[in-house]
Amino acid sequence: MKWKIAAAAVCTAALCGCGRFDLLPYARELDGMALMRTLGVDAAEEGVAVTASSGTGSGGENGGGREAEVSGRSAGSISACVLDMQAEGASYVYFGHVGQLLVGESMAWERASEPLEYVLRDVEMRLDTQLYIVKGGSAGEAIRSAAEGSSAADQLEAMADGAGMSGWSMPRSVGDVLADLERCGASFAPALTVQEGLKMDGYAILKDGRLAGWAEEDAAEGIHLLTGQADADVVEVELPDGGKAALRVVGAQSRTRAVFQGEELKGLQVLCRVDANLAEGDAELRNRETLEELEKRLVEVETRRIREALVLGQSLDADFLDLQSAAGITRPWRWREIQEQWEKWSELELNIEVQAHVERSYDAER
Amino acid sequence: MGFFGRKRESVPPHPRREPRIALPLSLESLEQVFQGTVDFSKRPVQLAGDGKKILTLCYVEGMVRMERVSDYVLRPMAQDRELARLADMKDVMRQMEEGALYSLGVERRNTMDQAVGDLVAGNCLLLFPGEGEALSFNVGTEEKRGISAPENETVLKGSRDAFVEGIRTNTSLVRRHLKAPELKIREQVVGRQSLTAVDVLYIDGIANMELVEQTQAQLSRLDIDALLAAGNIEEYIAGQTSTPFPLVQYTERPDRFCGGLAEGRVGILIDGLPLGYLAPGTIGDFLRAAQDKSSNWMVATMLTALRYICLMITLTLPALYVAVVTFHQEMIPTRLALSIISAKRDVPFASVFEVLILLIAFEILQEAGLRLPQAIGQTVSIIGGLVVGTAAVEAKIVSPAVLIVVAIAGIAGYTMPSQELAGALRLWRFALALLAGAAGLFGAVMGLAALVCHLAGIESFGVSYLTPFAANEGEQVQGQAVLRQPLPKTKLRPAALRTKNKRNQG
Repeated sequence: MKWKIAAAAVCTAALCGCGRFDLLPYARELDGMALMRTLGVDAAEEGVAVTASSGTGSGGENGGGREAEVSGRSAGSISACVLDMQAEGASYVYFGHVGQLLVGESMAWERASEPLEYVLRDVEMRLDTQLYIVKGGSAGEAIRSAAEGSSAADQLEAMADGAGMSGWSMPRSVGDVLADLERCGASFAPALTVQEGLKMDGYAILKDGRLAGWAEEDAAEGIHLLTGQADADVVEVELPDGGKAALRVVGAQSRTRAVFQGEELKGLQVLCRVDANLAEGDAELRNRETLEELEKRLVEVETRRIREALVLGQSLDADFLDLQSAAGITRPWRWREIQEQWEKWSELELNIEVQAHVERSYDAER
Repeated sequence: MGFFGRKRESVPPHPRREPRIALPLSLESLEQVFQGTVDFSKRPVQLAGDGKKILTLCYVEGMVRMERVSDYVLRPMAQDRELARLADMKDVMRQMEEGALYSLGVERRNTMDQAVGDLVAGNCLLLFPGEGEALSFNVGTEEKRGISAPENETVLKGSRDAFVEGIRTNTSLVRRHLKAPELKIREQVVGRQSLTAVDVLYIDGIANMELVEQTQAQLSRLDIDALLAAGNIEEYIAGQTSTPFPLVQYTERPDRFCGGLAEGRVGILIDGLPLGYLAPGTIGDFLRAAQDKSSNWMVATMLTALRYICLMITLTLPALYVAVVTFHQEMIPTRLALSIISAKRDVPFASVFEVLILLIAFEILQEAGLRLPQAIGQTVSIIGGLVVGTAAVEAKIVSPAVLIVVAIAGIAGYTMPSQELAGALRLWRFALALLAGAAGLFGAVMGLAALVCHLAGIESFGVSYLTPFAANEGEQVQGQAVLRQPLPKTKLRPAALRTKNKRNQG
């Protein structure tokens, strides 16, 4: 019994931090924290400028919302900025709930990988944080602009939730982008512009840890088709009789095949099946000719979009869609040749085949 | 005075005296034993009016039924002239023993221990002059509580009889459910002062005889003053007092008791307690309700799974809350974290203290509700739970999130079919909350690991407490703890009981 009491006393002393042993983790109460929801990183004279914003909150003392708090610091490194922010005020500024990482354009052109690696290494930040590149502006400006209405977190979360329905750029996490950069040296992330709030504007193409270019309009739509995320795209086509029809794309599936001539990798064949419904217009789907004409017009549009996306990648020499792996999956027995010859992928011939299927109309009589 | 407190004074053992009363069986000895006892009565009786043949009838008032004494003992003695004609008292005694008196139960006693025991049990004693023996007639009163529906185990589909305080009534209830002659009932007397009859019941040919002998041996070793409360026997026969978890199962329902006997368990009935014990008891037994076998097997399985989930909730929810709010804030969904922050604003206490305060308050309310009469108990619960709880939240003494967490944990604990198991979980809930407050999830997980080690180290009558999750003597025992198979498919008795007859169906 005496031994047990003595052992318990020694354990208690050690666990409580008596002497040089402090085995217990440091406790920090949740109510003593300021939760940051959005982090922005820009290039600055000192090195980097970091801007952090809280959300509007889900209820103040009277049940109403709180205004977003925005805080900014400049220093030689992101860690120094963050530490400086944590030192201010009575509350501990906590970055464990940051859901969006915004990188300003200048920072992205110079060293986009720096904030990504900070997220990777920091104990509080999460890899599932969504990454956005601010096009034509700074992240700090975007966060402050958003805070005037609600908060950057609220706006970006709403856009991410509605991306599938609205055809906006699909959100991508820091973890996904880092994995792409590690695997194929290039990746893409949604691009933001600041126009009376935040707006999605295509994608930023990242290569070797830096911004390499922008995928806009057709190229951005092509990315959706090639990644199978074209759930809510509306394509307007001319009808043979001069009218217009709106086709709503409800699904797309793509496959990429490597084309060999003997042992030499000569090109890429991209097969894409697009399913669409007739949303508006007077087209009579029971008429085979009309249906075929609609599908033909849709094929033209979607082929152009896919080509735009692929040509963009070739022009930047950035395989941001990881076509190499996609080609390897369809021809696993030629994986070694694909790997060895992939460095010339920007010169490969592109053969794009799109199959369009207009399944039905939203008008039951057609 | 030593460093670890006052040294204890050694108290020598106090062995049981055998015989208890070292006197010859006689009227004088009885008078000496019952000296100063107001309810001890004696009455000289002339045999068929013969003034030379006077016997003495002794009994304890209140323990015997007077009509029986008068009709079955006194009337034949007064009227039977054949008895008076017998010259020798030995012959009279033999004649009475063989049926001259009408009492069904008659025993010849020749020691004071037996005679005194019979008197206290409600027999009357007939002493013969010059003889060192006496006849004991069973004329005890039967003023007992009638058989009623069980109060603590709800019956929806099933028999509505419950055990009562009389042990013979209880054995008769068991006999009515299990009419097999293989049902054996062994009796021992336990308690120096209470002299309580304790019956061990089992079905010969099914029960493991080692288990029966072990139970008998445990009872024989039981040398206590009085066997009056349930805890007296639970702590002694289970053999392990260093655990809060129950090791023997109890029930007030004879049908459930008989179900246990038919499975191969050993039953224990105690005179004076309206309960039946079943041994061994494993953790799965305490999570099964009596109603389960009456319900559809899918419903019963779902409810059992729900009880296991509730077990984890009641045990770990306060600790998890403390851990994530104090150490692992990144685990909380952002909107929930914001909600907790908003609710906890201006509360002066740390989360761990909030949780501990409310857990203690919850225990106090529960104890107060149990000790008071039912109507007042409900009022206390309402006042405590609603009024004080709401006031505490409004006064910013505790946050609503903690109140919800503790309430959910408490309500989840009420789903446990065994109150003993629920009590043990409540104790461990405190320990886990404290550990989580000290070391977060690491502390809580270490606490849970300690709990698993503790449970894995417990045995109930040689059966691992975690059966069928754990092996017994290195041998995995098959059985379903959560899933209740359809009864037609449950053809085997629980393997852990090592029954003689392993099949329960043809």
